[in-house]
Amino acid sequence: MENPGNARNYLTAREAGLVSCTTCGKLHPAGVKTCLRCGATLASRDTQSLQKVWAWWIAGVIAFIPANTYPMLKTATLGSQSESTLLGGIVELLHHGSLGIAGIVFFASIVIPASKFLAIAYLALGIGRPHRSSAHLRHQVYEVVEFVGRWSMIDVFVVAILTALVQLGSAASIHPGIAAVSFALSVAFTMLSAQSFDARLIWDADKDQDQ
Amino acid sequence: MTQPEVPEMDVSPAKRSPWRNLSFVWLVPVLALIVSLGVAWQSYSNKGTLITIVFQDAAGITPKDTTIRYRDVIIGAVEEVNFSSDMSKVIVAARIDKDVAATFSPDTLFWVVRPEVSARGISGLSTVLSGVYIDSAWIPTTSSDAREFKGLSETPLIRPGHEGTRIKIRSKNGTSLTAGAPVFFRGMEVGRLDTPRLSETADSTDVEAFINAPYDKFLNTNSRFWNMAGFSVTLGPSGLDLNVASLGSLLTGGVAFENMVSGGEPITDDTIIRLFANETAARDSVFTQLSANSVKMSVVFRESISGLASGAPVEFRGLRIGQVSGIGAFIVKTDKGSAVNMRAVISIDPQALGLDADADAETTQAFIAKLVAEGVRARLSTTSIFSAALKVELADVEDATPAELGEDGDGTPIIPSVISDLPDFTATAEGVLQRINNLPIEDVMNQTISLMASIEAITTSQSTQLAPDAILGLIDDARGLIGKEDTQAIPAEVRGVIADLRSIMAELKERGAVDQLSSALVSVDKASADIAAASGDLPALIEDLRSIATKVNELQAEELIAAVTRVMNSTDALIGAEGIKDIPPALASALTEVQASLRELREGGAVANTNATLASAREAADAVAQAARDFPDVTAQLDQVVSKADALLSAYGDRSTFNSETLDLLRELKAAAKSVAQLARTIERNPNSLILGR
Repeated sequence: MENPGNARNYLTAREAGLVSCTTCGKLHPAGVKTCLRCGATLASRDTQSLQKVWAWWIAGVIAFIPANTYPMLKTATLGSQSESTLLGGIVELLHHGSLGIAGIVFFASIVIPASKFLAIAYLALGIGRPHRSSAHLRHQVYEVVEFVGRWSMIDVFVVAILTALVQLGSAASIHPGIAAVSFALSVAFTMLSAQSFDARLIWDADKDQDQ
Repeated sequence: MTQPEVPEMDVSPAKRSPWRNLSFVWLVPVLALIVSLGVAWQSYSNKGTLITIVFQDAAGITPKDTTIRYRDVIIGAVEEVNFSSDMSKVIVAARIDKDVAATFSPDTLFWVVRPEVSARGISGLSTVLSGVYIDSAWIPTTSSDAREFKGLSETPLIRPGHEGTRIKIRSKNGTSLTAGAPVFFRGMEVGRLDTPRLSETADSTDVEAFINAPYDKFLNTNSRFWNMAGFSVTLGPSGLDLNVASLGSLLTGGVAFENMVSGGEPITDDTIIRLFANETAARDSVFTQLSANSVKMSVVFRESISGLASGAPVEFRGLRIGQVSGIGAFIVKTDKGSAVNMRAVISIDPQALGLDADADAETTQAFIAKLVAEGVRARLSTTSIFSAALKVELADVEDATPAELGEDGDGTPIIPSVISDLPDFTATAEGVLQRINNLPIEDVMNQTISLMASIEAITTSQSTQLAPDAILGLIDDARGLIGKEDTQAIPAEVRGVIADLRSIMAELKERGAVDQLSSALVSVDKASADIAAASGDLPALIEDLRSIATKVNELQAEELIAAVTRVMNSTDALIGAEGIKDIPPALASALTEVQASLRELREGGAVANTNATLASAREAADAVAQAARDFPDVTAQLDQVVSKADALLSAYGDRSTFNSETLDLLRELKAAAKSVAQLARTIERNPNSLILGR
């Protein structure tokens, strides 16, 4: 057990005839339907986990398309209106020489969501089939994906704050575009997708591989 | 490795249909897909119709940013700006709201709105900050699907869909017509002028004007248009007249119209309206143009008709009844050969005479013939005292020799004329000056001086002075005479006589009668006889002569005065000399005769023959006096006019055109000032308004 990544001989709760509560962590004997401590429904494996993951994932991807093609911000300054999309904004920042900010925005708004999609797809596809990479690595990937999810909302926060602050009549005003809503939805869907993922399934795959 | 006992698992064999296993979560991507597709579809369907507008240049147009507006509502935006294939034009592609684009007509107008500062005001100020936009105007149709349009380089003055009437105005001279200049109707701005163009034959300027509804209903064939040049100042018999239409028209000019006469047909599309130079001309035209059935007659003048022009008014007892339509000379054969007579052809409007509008020529001619029989004659008269222009006047002439309508070679009736009595101001003034100029003042002075010199010579001559006996005797006689009252008045009378003589001479010098007078004085007998030939009303004459004398005095005749003084001194010395008794009896008797004759003159005794020369002299004196009187009058009048104008300009109480015009102008200025102040206040209170345009 020194290196769990390489260990194949571990006992899963399911193998041990136990079921743990995902909410409070209490172990119950298999067959118990509800947690004795917190009353949550107990399930040894979420049979619909993959379905949910894929459903949320697809929804997230669908929402991600308008988030990138539609304008994120509608800026009106002195009568002239300009709309900027995510990528357009990044390009504009690059033009203005703000490489750092452009990098941050690119990273937070494009790289992270995109890599999350890839990561979740990678994890979901890895379920139920033999896998080259270790279960531990995949577990870590899952942890990172779940952790990083909330930070993707930076863009949405920026838009929300700007919209709230910059309302100076006709001198300057900023309104959120369709992309802002889509982006928020996309992030939310991705988070839900990650949450729906039952990490325990990773172990089952390992077991299947072993057998 | 002991395997723990595995409890019975609660796992169903689950080879159920995959659909039954479906999680409700799948609804989310489905919904997301539907919504996304919906949004995509909506944005696609709302994309609008692509149209192209061809401009000469694309100043300020930026793709995506520049909007297209209609009645200040955004209906689309410019998508891209390209050049035409030959690089000569700019093609602007724009997306227009679908519903709006469907109503475009092929002649939809597009133009770029830019900030514009002109005499008519400032427009497009909002575009300073927001950038230009493309404005549009069209008459909505549903039948057209035009997608390619031509853009205008300037804001159109008259936009399609505007209600009103378009009219064509023709002017001889387009200098004061500018595009966009206002059209006024009774001081109200009711329309605008389009860009003036030369007519095809280049002999006049055509300009289209647009009269806004509902004012266009006042247009008819009796509407007269005239040019409102910025302002006009007229100095006429009624005083100073200043006409200012409005501050705007002061800078851009303008056109006004009014219906001078009631009635009139509605204006048709091909009516070309004549533009008159000013309001007076427009008003006058009503009378001259009314006479569709005017009667042509002619008047023959045997004098100069300089100042009479075609178009000059024909007046009957002061009322305008027609105009002079032609002037010419023709040769008449008389007993003494041929002579040139001046003939003016005049058109008389029967309506102006009070006859029926459709009276025929015979009726009018009969009417004129009746007037002529009653003593009405044609003659020339000036139109105003300040102008040399003449008009033909049909006036009642007293003691007119009976006459009737004659007939011309071509059958035109001739109205008999009389020689005009032109009260020509300039002629009078010139005549006066001419006469003054003709006065032989130099001659008179010389003559008088030589006369005085000869008198002096007589009195100072030795023979005279060496005749003291006679003078002494004369003194005795004189003393006897002096004892009498009559005689005591003699020296005074002698002085008076000399004064009179002086004045007479001054008068006579004009006619060269001084020679006569001097010789008369040399042989005083003859002189007395000549002087006795005075005019009938002598006191008046003397008065005149005296006034002439004072004038001659005033002419700085110092030499003359000195001479006279010397004469007086010599005479005094002579009279006072001891040997005065020895004065030659001839001289004494002569003096007596002079005295007698002068007394006669003074007493105003009847004088035998009225001298034409003296009469002329008097006339001249009259003329001079008249002139002298007139000049201050004229000056005073001019002064009056000026002061009147001053008064008008400063503190005005009267209701005159000038006043109202000035007040109007002031009011406008005041209103303008107020608006500026208001604008300033508004901006102060609400700086946003400048930006927002609200």
